[in-house]
This record gives sequence, structure tokens and C-alpha cells, in this order.
Amino acid sequence: MDWGKLKFFLGEVTRNFSRNTGMQMTAIGTVAITIVLLGMFLFVRAALADVGASLLAKIEISAYLSPDATPAQIHAIGRFLAQDPRVESAQFIPKRQGLAELRERTKGTIDTALLTENPLPDKYRIKVRATEQVPSVAAEVRRLTGVANVVYGQQVVQRLLQLGAVLRRIGIVVIAIFFAVAGIIIANTIRLTVFARRREIAIMQLVGATNTYIRLPFICEGLLDGCIGAALAVGLLAVARATLWPRLLEALPWAQLTATPLDARVLAAELLAVGAAIGIVASWIAVGRHLRT
Amino acid sequence: MIALRGVSLVYPNGVRALDDINLEIAKGEFVFLVGHSGTGKSSLLRLLYREARSTAGEIVVDGIRVDRLRRNRIAALRRHLGVVFQDFKLLVDKTVWENVAFAMQVTGAHTRDIMRQAPRVLDLVGLSHKSRMYPTELSGGEQQRTAIARALVNNPKILLCDEPTGNLDPANTTEITALLQRINLKGTTVVVATHNQAVVDRMRRRVVRLDDGRITTDEERGYYYLGLGQTQVLSG
Repeated sequence: MDWGKLKFFLGEVTRNFSRNTGMQMTAIGTVAITIVLLGMFLFVRAALADVGASLLAKIEISAYLSPDATPAQIHAIGRFLAQDPRVESAQFIPKRQGLAELRERTKGTIDTALLTENPLPDKYRIKVRATEQVPSVAAEVRRLTGVANVVYGQQVVQRLLQLGAVLRRIGIVVIAIFFAVAGIIIANTIRLTVFARRREIAIMQLVGATNTYIRLPFICEGLLDGCIGAALAVGLLAVARATLWPRLLEALPWAQLTATPLDARVLAAELLAVGAAIGIVASWIAVGRHLRT
Repeated sequence: MIALRGVSLVYPNGVRALDDINLEIAKGEFVFLVGHSGTGKSSLLRLLYREARSTAGEIVVDGIRVDRLRRNRIAALRRHLGVVFQDFKLLVDKTVWENVAFAMQVTGAHTRDIMRQAPRVLDLVGLSHKSRMYPTELSGGEQQRTAIARALVNNPKILLCDEPTGNLDPANTTEITALLQRINLKGTTVVVATHNQAVVDRMRRRVVRLDDGRITTDEERGYYYLGLGQTQVLSG
């Protein structure tokens, strides 16, 4: 190991980094904000996905049969459902059982003893494997002979799917904008350093330093900006998770949020990697432009 | 060592800096490029270290086809060359020693080699005793000697000098000329672009004269002005 070489290289990086303190702080701050947003987005998305999953898991299709459906028709419907790969399970609920279940569910609120006859039709209770397929399975079942009506949480399913998609799109756009801003600020910071050191760079090129060698201290400067920004962001997110998240869980018990929707250590590592990547890419572009001219 | 065949250089703005240049420089030669300002002396040197790229012709420097060189091979070419300029191009925040060592450090040299080579070239240019001083504390001649030491520290086979005495008084000019001669005697091929008549006339070395981007004369032991020595017109 040539310590002299390492010392020279580290000296170059330190000198670069300490040259424009103000710009360096701006770059680090922007990276931190970007990474905080990204972290929050990933966390909230995971939490929402949990809520969504628990709600969607409960969604089932009730296919009510017409009162004059023949046993053969009921059987055919059962066979159709059993063969459909999208269907996880299909259970035939005769109307007597339906009433018993209704009595059980409404116990203490509605007096079903007043009923003189069973008003419920027979039905199939269908669970579908993927939530997105609920509407299409429901539509097909409705067309079968002997089926009078099909009911499922149409609006809940569609709203949840829509909400998830919209949130994801907004999140991606906002984060993309912040990424671009962070990248541009880092690139400009590096460009200032490059400008301040243009004589040295010219001499390096003259004496035969490779572009990779010239580029390296600047890439390290960008990497430092990215990593310090990301580390700050991870720290902020960790504090927020330790203090705000438990309160949110307490405040919204109905939302059925999971206490830890994401592995904190994995998320921290991913965010640090993202910060480092912004720094490297931005500085690579910034120096590359200078070296080409 | 250096060969240019049918070389032309037209800048993007349409200015024809060099036109059909044919020139051979042998290993260990000392060559002056003379001519008025703007006749293409600097442009010719810039082609040799690939700061500019020829628009036509073939350029070979130490076995490397410079006109065809890919961008990522330019660094390798420049390690064969030392380049010295009129304005020295020293880093003012580095000492003489650091300026010289810098040229080795940035090419990835081992510290052990730097510690051996830097004192050697500083001794050659006579600046060992001023190695801790900054360029602003040196005379013009000393600054140019520092620049020459930096150009030599990587042991180049060719030293290219663009008006090396342009900013110097006569005493310092003499000093630098003597130094270049010493370097040449050690086997380095030296090419000097200059319009300093005194230097050219005193040294009586090969003189290539450029006029309007073309070589008009090439004299074995020439003077600055044509007609004082043997004349041989190569082209134009």
C-alpha cells in the first residue's frame, strides 16, 4: 500500500470538498430532503399496502341464486367456479345457513324472530385470488343461468385500487422532481469546484493524467454530498419513526396499520445507496462535460 | 521520432492554421520552429500533443499515430512528451517541489519513484535550494525552470516548448536556452517554437520556418532570418 498516494488523493478530495462550503451545504440539504421524501413515500406506501391487503383479503363475491334455480343449475355454477383458476374458493350457502349467519351477525340489533319466512336466497360465497380480478369474475358469474344477482364491495375495491395508483403516481412525480433538483444542485456544486481547479485540471491533462484519475476526486466529492445528505435523512426518518409513528398507530386504530411495515435497516441501506448514486451520477456528468471540452 | 506528412489544420471557424506540413524530426534532434505570430508554430506543437486534431495528413510521435488517436489514449501519448509554455502554467498554491511532484502524482507514480525523480530534475534545472518556495517568490527564469522540471519529471523522450523565453529578460533567456541545450545533450528530442532571434542565432541549430501555415524553409544549422545559412525549401 502506497500511503503517499492515498494521502495525496485524500488531500485532493478534502480540498475539493472544503472549497465551496455554502454550495456543499445546499447540495447536502437537498439530498437530505429528497431522501426524506423518498423514505416517507416508501414507508407510507408499504403501510397503505398493508391496510389495502387486509381490507382486500376480506372482499368476497356473493352470487345470489334465483329462487327457481334448479339443482342442476346450482351444480353447474359450482362446477364453473371450481374450474376457474382465478377463484380461490367457492362455498355454497343454502338459504337456511344464510339466515343463521345473518342472525349471528346482527345479534342484539335486529330481531330476526319477527321473520315469518326466510327471505334470503341461496348463494355462493366466492373468494378470488387477486383483487384486480374480482370485477371480471363477478361479471362472468352474473351471466350464468340461475344467478339472480352478484354483490361485492365494488366501490371499496375500485376506490382502493384507484387510490393506490394515484398516490403512487403523485409520489413518483414529486420524488422524480426532487431527484432532478438534487442532481442539478450537486452537479453545479461540482462544476464550481471544477471551475476553481481548471488550471490544475489542464495541467493534469497536459502531463498525461487519465480522465478517470482526474474525475475521481470530483466523484468522491459528489459521493460525499450524496452520502452525508442521505445519512442526515435516514437519521431524521429514524427519529420520526420512533416518535411519530407510534402516536399515529394509536390515533388511527381502525386503519389497521402494521407497526413495522418495512425493515428499517434494509430501508436505511437502500436510502444511503440512493443518496450515493445521486452524488456519483451528478458529479460524473458535471466533470464529464468539462473533460470533453 | 516525430513525423508529419501532408498535415493540415483548419479550425472550426474556417481559419487554416496549417497547410500541407511535411516534417521529420529525428531522435535527439534540437529544432527551432520560427516565424511571425500567427504563422502556425503553436498550432503545430498543439497537434503533436493532441491539444488540437489535424484535419488532414498523418502524424506520428514516438511511434504513436497521433492523428488517429482515440480520446482515451491521449493521456498515454502525453506521458511520452513534456510541454513548456510561455506563461509557465505553474500552480501558485503549490511549492516548486509540489508543482514538480504533482506531474508524477497525477499519473499514478509510486511515492518512492517521486522521491527519487523529483530531486533529480530539480538538480538538473538548478532549483534544489528553492524547492520549498512558491512560484510567486521566484524570478521568471526560475519559474520557467520549474515548469521545465515538471515537464521532464516523467522522463519524456520529447520536450515541446512554446515560446519558452517569451516572458523572460535576456539573462534569463540565456539561462533557459542553456538548460534546454543540456537537456538535449542528455538525449531528449527538443522542439522549440520561438520568435526570439538572439536565441536562434546563438545556438545555430536546425531551423524550420513557417509562413502562413506552410513550411517555407528548413535549415540544418540556421539563423532566424533566411539567407544567413544553407537554405532548403521543402514545400510551398
